[in-house]
Amino acid sequence: MSAAIDIVAVTKTYDGRTRAVDAVDMAIREGEFFSLLGPSGCGKTTTLRMIAGFETPTEGTIAVGGADVTHVPAHKRDMGMVFQNYALFPHRSVGENVGFGLRMRGMDRAMIARKVTDALAQVELVGYEDRRPGQLSGGQQQRVALARAIVIEPRVLLCDEPLGALDKKLRQSMQFELKQLQRKLGLTMVFVTHDQEEALAMSDRIAVMNAGKVEQIGTPSEIYDRPGTRFVADFIGDTNLFRGEVIRTGGTCVLRVDSDLSIELAEEPGTIGPLSVALRPEKIVLTAPGAHAGQGLDGIVESANFQGGSVLYRIEAAGRRLLAQQPNNGSHELFQAGAAVALRWTPSDIVILKD
Amino acid sequence: MKATRASVSPIAWLIAPSALLFALFFFLPMGLMALISVLSGNPVVQSNVTFTGKYYARILSDSYYFEVIWTTIRIGLFTTLAALLVGYPLAHWMARIRGRTAYALLMMSVLTPMLTGIVVRTFAWMALLSDKGAINQTLTGLGLIAKPLSLMYNEFSIVLGLTHIYIPYMVLTLVGVIGRIDERLEHAAQNLGASPLRAFFEVTLPLSLPGILAGSLLVFALAISAYVTPILMGGFQIMTLPMLIYQQISSSFNVGFAAALGMVLLAISLALIIAYNRILGMISGQRDLQ
Repeated sequence: MSAAIDIVAVTKTYDGRTRAVDAVDMAIREGEFFSLLGPSGCGKTTTLRMIAGFETPTEGTIAVGGADVTHVPAHKRDMGMVFQNYALFPHRSVGENVGFGLRMRGMDRAMIARKVTDALAQVELVGYEDRRPGQLSGGQQQRVALARAIVIEPRVLLCDEPLGALDKKLRQSMQFELKQLQRKLGLTMVFVTHDQEEALAMSDRIAVMNAGKVEQIGTPSEIYDRPGTRFVADFIGDTNLFRGEVIRTGGTCVLRVDSDLSIELAEEPGTIGPLSVALRPEKIVLTAPGAHAGQGLDGIVESANFQGGSVLYRIEAAGRRLLAQQPNNGSHELFQAGAAVALRWTPSDIVILKD
Repeated sequence: MKATRASVSPIAWLIAPSALLFALFFFLPMGLMALISVLSGNPVVQSNVTFTGKYYARILSDSYYFEVIWTTIRIGLFTTLAALLVGYPLAHWMARIRGRTAYALLMMSVLTPMLTGIVVRTFAWMALLSDKGAINQTLTGLGLIAKPLSLMYNEFSIVLGLTHIYIPYMVLTLVGVIGRIDERLEHAAQNLGASPLRAFFEVTLPLSLPGILAGSLLVFALAISAYVTPILMGGFQIMTLPMLIYQQISSSFNVGFAAALGMVLLAISLALIIAYNRILGMISGQRDLQ
């Protein structure tokens, strides 16, 4: 029932020059929660619209369940979609909205009524059949949109920033519910978002897009811990970026950023010349200055931003500003602004980036 | 700070000119017309004026007046229908078009009928439609017809002429309403398995009903009260209510009867508007439409 999606060398251009989507390849597996993540204008929504059939690729092919659907019109693709702002039919009741897809498939009334009730039960909206979408709250409309998309038992569920309009608390609980539902139904899901936390929390795999191109595809931990490019490292979470020249001294490889800072690399970068690396703030350990072993720097705390579960420090070190995050779990010393600190990290936490 | 005593916003006074205008030039004349239609004569020049129902009785007693009223309504309905059928696709196209230039060009072409004078427009139609006009000449020349089709000086030509000038009202009303319908609703319908045509009938058309209603009422009201176009395009062959009213005032000097006819025209418009509203509301299931 659920199907894999293969996007091969897909390009979309509206004016023949600028490419909204540029030679994108993606192999979305059956039953996978796959997110398209990127800033606005990166081509993620256009990619989704091409999968849904609202846009035709200028080049390349899209296959669903092994069959080429590149030129199949939207209404014959058998996909569910949850739109940004839900796109519920305002002139129809909740029940009619949810039953719309079934009616289009020529199902008889009794059957539709039963399936609509089941679908509304899935999203915990039993008894709302006769209301109008305008009478529901944002979260309830969101659930109706979801019920409308899953009731047709689609091969693929597409979501275009479906949680964007909800407030933070509601968004988090909807994230859990959506993920649970996806797993229970075993749906292949393509989820467009610009919210990196959302993508990291929900996805099996994420494709990070920028300027029409795919920057990296990987699991949330791969994307976060091993960003492949400078863009990914910068876009996902806070990060410390360094750029310098690779030099070899004896057996170790060192990135020489400037006269004040050289960073030891755990692995051979494979290329010679300028290189960027990333270091996550939480991989840096702060201690009182003094005996520090291995990689490290001395610095002064510029500001300490208390975030409840952790503290985010801005530290002036080696003539630059670095971010360091320490968990507030009692085992770490808390520093005030102006305090002198030592920064330490292990070379394996330094991630080598492609530009 | 000075405490403001007035609970009415000062902006509310801006309504005063239009309120005055309505009172002086709308409600007052309407009231006078209603009054004159039930008076036996003009109270300004005559002394013993009494209330009478004779003008209404005259309308009811003579089938000729029924004929005229029915012709007027028929012309109004056909004009409205034609304007809707031609105007809706155009309005839909304009509402969904992306290019600014293309939109501007379409808007220009929609507005041209309003920018040409009635005489010029009518002569243009004559050149096309008359027995020796372009259409009949071409068809005869091609041997498709033996004798010329009568396209001018009948109801057909009146409806054609009226549709031509009143289409902009229909289109402009519809463009606003269709433009506000989220395109994603059509996409959602298609995504759920509706063909683009089905999606249009299930979603866009019902949601544009308020626009259809407003545009139709506007065109209908304009069409049944039109005077110049029916005369020129009908060549005095077809009698409509406005023509009859004018005739009663200018040649028969029967102001009371003219006023009664005017009241009938008003009553018919109102009745049709209410009926139309109800029917559309029932079809669409939008109770809030009424």
